[in-house]
Amino acid sequence: METNRTRPVIKIENLTAKYGERTILSGVSTELRSSEITVILGTSGCGKSTLLKSIVGLLRPATGRVRIFDTEIRDQDDPASVEVLKRTGVLFQNGALLGSITVGENVALPLQMHTRLAEPVINEIVAMKLAQVDLPHAAPLFPNELSGGMRKRAALARALALDPPLLFCDEPSAGLDPVTSAGLDELLLRLRESLGITIVVVTHELLSIEKIADFLLFLHKGKLLFDGPYSEARKLREGPIYNFFNRADDRRAEGAAESFTFNVENVR
Amino acid sequence: MLMNDSPRKPKKRGGSVIVAMPRTLDRTWVERQAVPGFGFAAELRLDFAETEQIDSAGMGYIATLHKICSRGGGKLVLENIATRHVEALHKQAGLEPGPQRQREGSVFVRTADMFLSAIEQGVEALSVLVEMLYWGTFGMWLRRDFKRGSLGEQMYQLGFRAVGIVALLSFLIGVVLSLQSAMQLRTYGAGIFLAPLIGITMVREMGPLLTAIILAGRTGSATTAEIATMEVNEEIDALRTMGINPIQFVVVPKFWAISVTMPLLTIISTSTGILGGYVVAFLYLDLSPGLFTNELTKYLHFADVNAGFIKSVVFSWLIIWIGAYYGLRVQGGAEAVGRETTSSVVTGIFIIIIADAIFSFIL
Repeated sequence: METNRTRPVIKIENLTAKYGERTILSGVSTELRSSEITVILGTSGCGKSTLLKSIVGLLRPATGRVRIFDTEIRDQDDPASVEVLKRTGVLFQNGALLGSITVGENVALPLQMHTRLAEPVINEIVAMKLAQVDLPHAAPLFPNELSGGMRKRAALARALALDPPLLFCDEPSAGLDPVTSAGLDELLLRLRESLGITIVVVTHELLSIEKIADFLLFLHKGKLLFDGPYSEARKLREGPIYNFFNRADDRRAEGAAESFTFNVENVR
Repeated sequence: MLMNDSPRKPKKRGGSVIVAMPRTLDRTWVERQAVPGFGFAAELRLDFAETEQIDSAGMGYIATLHKICSRGGGKLVLENIATRHVEALHKQAGLEPGPQRQREGSVFVRTADMFLSAIEQGVEALSVLVEMLYWGTFGMWLRRDFKRGSLGEQMYQLGFRAVGIVALLSFLIGVVLSLQSAMQLRTYGAGIFLAPLIGITMVREMGPLLTAIILAGRTGSATTAEIATMEVNEEIDALRTMGINPIQFVVVPKFWAISVTMPLLTIISTSTGILGGYVVAFLYLDLSPGLFTNELTKYLHFADVNAGFIKSVVFSWLIIWIGAYYGLRVQGGAEAVGRETTSSVVTGIFIIIIADAIFSFIL
């Protein structure tokens, strides 16, 4: 395990990401190591999803670079990038299942596109993956016939179809009930234990972080504020990370400081 | 209670105006107050001695008065206000709203901006066309990112399901066109020329154009709506992260389906149009079927059929190109999907008519 720890799967060097003129991330550098669950944290709008998008190649970095398995992701037309993308699974926030085909076909899609497996074998794998996420009977249904949580689990099955050694999850438990969400956490832990998958999760759920996080990346206003083991982050006694875990809201106080003050007399 | 809540006349003390605030400073009370649009130079004192409750409208009212006073060089003082209300005010009211989105620069700068963004859009549109043509042809040697059976499905959706409407509309246009012509031709005893007239019009012009316009409304809009919805739902991003080329997966099957079905639909459109013309010729001008066919084949040349065929293929590419471009450029939510779909149909029809005009000169 110790030797595994030192092997970085993702290297981010001085990453700056922009939407148009707006800078979302600046100067982010880190390494994510294999067989670990790294949680990307931060308050809303701090650039978590942008970081994820930059890592998986959906957003071209303005400066700096991101390497997964020592390869820079350019686009889907670059064969080297495709090879890397085959070895990664991405679970989108809303699942992003293709609405025009059934759940089973969605899960089968990466297999049909990237392998030469025969149709019956693919069907078996699809059934296995759907059973793994507790949706054994969902294959013939269309995504719009599923609930939000089921859709997310089906999307996870699709992300896992090619048995990727690297899995990204964008807010896997957002909008899920606590039971389903806990089940999802269990599943992620199981995948890490049994297959040694490296998992990167963007989430807000404190309970979920508590349960799964090995490492923590804390983003604050587009900058990487903390990068280290989860246990160390919990030892902090002040600052945005402490506030985050203790649900203390310091933003309103900051905002009020910028506002005008009212002239008050004879306060009751 | 009612007495307490009704607005009172302001009193004057020294240089300042004092207004007593009601027991409940809520929306009902604020609705009855006038908000001056100008600056207020004097000192305005609000007396909260009796006030027990302040809701969001009340806080908004106080914040507004504060701004009005400071704008005119005056001062707003809150008297006898409860501590909890002061806290609430400082916490919630008076936060400066974020900067407003506004257009900057002179007319010249804005015109230049518009010009540049038009060029940018043009380049984007062209790159979609190039990608579509490349991944639909040579790129297929490199990779084939589309599902088995998707071509057949798209041919059914885009082509076969449009047969009815194309045939019906073409027949009706054929009838109308020949009826209008027949009335004029009969006056000069030239009814016999109805056959070549309607034949050449349908083959060269109306067949391809009518089919293209129907398909721009039908297929173009469907393509834009489908791709835009996929884009909005992150389905396109999901394809990218699966290492699947979205153009080849979504657009290329449609490209081939419409390239094959559009000429076939044009044949159907042309023949039903001519059939409509024949019905008029038979019922109105008493032309026999043999005579009609004879006259038709005498004047209709291979060049005409060829022109119609080339037009139909080019129109089909235009439809799918415009549809895909507007779908892929969508930004925002459901409302943006609707807007892009509308633009796609309007632009599609516009470009088809322009292309048709160009073809009239060169073919």
